[in-house]
Amino acid sequence: MTLYLPIAEMSINVWVLISMGAAVGFLSGLFGVGGGFIMTPLLIFIGIPPAVAVGTGSAQIVASSMSGAVAQYRRGNVDIKMGLVLIAGGLVGTVIGVDVVRILRRLGQFDLVVALGYVTFLGIVGILMLIESSTTLAKVQAGGKGRGRRAHAHSWLDGLPFKMRFRHSKLYTSAVPPAVIGTFVGFLAAIFGIGGGFIIVPALIYILRMPTNIVVGTALFQIVFVTAAATVLQSATNQTVDLALALVLVIGGVFGAQFGAIAGQRLRGEQLRFWLAALVLLVGLRVGYDLVVKPAELYSITPLVRGLE
Amino acid sequence: MTPIARLVSALIAVLVASSAAATANPTPAGPVTDIAPPGQLRTAQQTKPKPPPKTPPPQKSRQPRPTPTAPAILSPPPERIEVDVSTRTIEVTSAFAGTEIIVFGTVLNSQQESAESGYYDVVVVVEGRGATSIVRLKSNVGGLWINTQSVRFDNLPLYSAIASSRPLEEIAEPSVFVANVIGYTRARMFPGRHSSKVTAEELDAYKTAALRLKQKDGLYVTSDYGVAFIGPALFRASIKLPANIPVGPLGARVFLFHDGQLLASQKATVMLERQGVDRLVYDFAFEHPVWYGILTVAIAAFAGLAASLAFRR
Repeated sequence: MTLYLPIAEMSINVWVLISMGAAVGFLSGLFGVGGGFIMTPLLIFIGIPPAVAVGTGSAQIVASSMSGAVAQYRRGNVDIKMGLVLIAGGLVGTVIGVDVVRILRRLGQFDLVVALGYVTFLGIVGILMLIESSTTLAKVQAGGKGRGRRAHAHSWLDGLPFKMRFRHSKLYTSAVPPAVIGTFVGFLAAIFGIGGGFIIVPALIYILRMPTNIVVGTALFQIVFVTAAATVLQSATNQTVDLALALVLVIGGVFGAQFGAIAGQRLRGEQLRFWLAALVLLVGLRVGYDLVVKPAELYSITPLVRGLE
Repeated sequence: MTPIARLVSALIAVLVASSAAATANPTPAGPVTDIAPPGQLRTAQQTKPKPPPKTPPPQKSRQPRPTPTAPAILSPPPERIEVDVSTRTIEVTSAFAGTEIIVFGTVLNSQQESAESGYYDVVVVVEGRGATSIVRLKSNVGGLWINTQSVRFDNLPLYSAIASSRPLEEIAEPSVFVANVIGYTRARMFPGRHSSKVTAEELDAYKTAALRLKQKDGLYVTSDYGVAFIGPALFRASIKLPANIPVGPLGARVFLFHDGQLLASQKATVMLERQGVDRLVYDFAFEHPVWYGILTVAIAAFAGLAASLAFRR
């Protein structure tokens, strides 16, 4: 059964898309991540134009992070005030990011920037997670307990202006660092078609020193709004959001995520982080491989139709 | 499917009529292949492409056709062709997975004895609208393969299919094809604005790359022996339209040749139109992109919520 995608302008097997959605959904349920960093390269790999993959990926993340955000909110794990500061920054970052996508597409360098960005971020985050999770695993095996939250240490961040009290996080800190983090993640969300959970969660823990139990909920809260804004802006600026493609991916993802979540309950946190790190690195290496190895076809052709000029 | 079925029945009717005429005529008018299916006919022609009858140029000694209506022909009336396509409007819906159209036509005042005589050559060109295309070249910069140079070709057809009764080079001189804008190596492929400075050889490499990439995507197709005569006058060519064909009007141009000379040409158009949900989505996305984005977000958010509710039980 094939489906003609109205925006990507190609015909593709529905079951391929649904199983891709299910596979990525399984991983996102298993590891508690949005999965955008796997979905977007996969879409590009099966021949969806990179700009459409990125725009549609944002829409798919809205769906996948929505249920998580609602569940976390019900459990009181969302710091709304912190979330709003992150979102405010995120919106600025998204606006910039979408315009950067437009400029890069015109220059013909969008694909390169996406690939380079994936290699860089997945490489850095993957290695950091691998180190962190393996040292924790080693500690746990040595008989000690996993690392808890460090006591609030004074740093140069406390010297910044616009101090705000985030009651839920038990923090009295400047609004500048969360706004900057939000902007950065919003920018990445727009360019790479990701939610940015794998960047925002460590940033909230290690830079802002937020309590870990609130971090995931607050990150999901921010991701829903920022990817929603990214979807609308991508559509308005680049017309690269394929509704049909997003729907099919969401259907697959919904089922995959449920099974992933069940499987995830049987694994310990450190183990999960270790395997997630391995996956992140693997995706990064795969994207990097195409950049380094001489391609079989050195030429490419792009017809200038629809709003590219 | 119905238009094709209708066409096939029409073809069969014509074939029956022509074979009936042949049997009514006592003089042997060449082997009449009767009601063989068009596909078989074509393969029959494929296996033995006949050279055109070489005749002295000033007076073409055509065999006076033994027809009762033409007792004496001083100078045969000039040939004309009439052409049409099997489907005038093709609907591109969400189930669209490519399709096939049949370009058919007839030679008026045909001098041809039979379908097999190879007296005429027919070239059918089906083309999409022209658009500027950028061809980019990757080169190794610091270990990475990145786009470094580009050439723009203006007015490059988004889709092009050329079917002919024989390979083009056997039908006429290249200059004839260039003059009539037939074929890919057309004169109009020259670098447009914003192109990188390239040498003549580099430009040739860009041209061949453009054609190679288009052919790889199935958007540029050639079919030697893709046009078949089904009688002394009637011919047909089936043209495959791939699923990734850019939506828009297609123009079909048909050329009739004899002995390297262009005798007549004719045009027909095919419309590729988005229909159904696909059209709604596409129009909405391009006419109201902001609302389209908001709708997409709303659907995605609703799907996410519905899923979490459905699986909570």
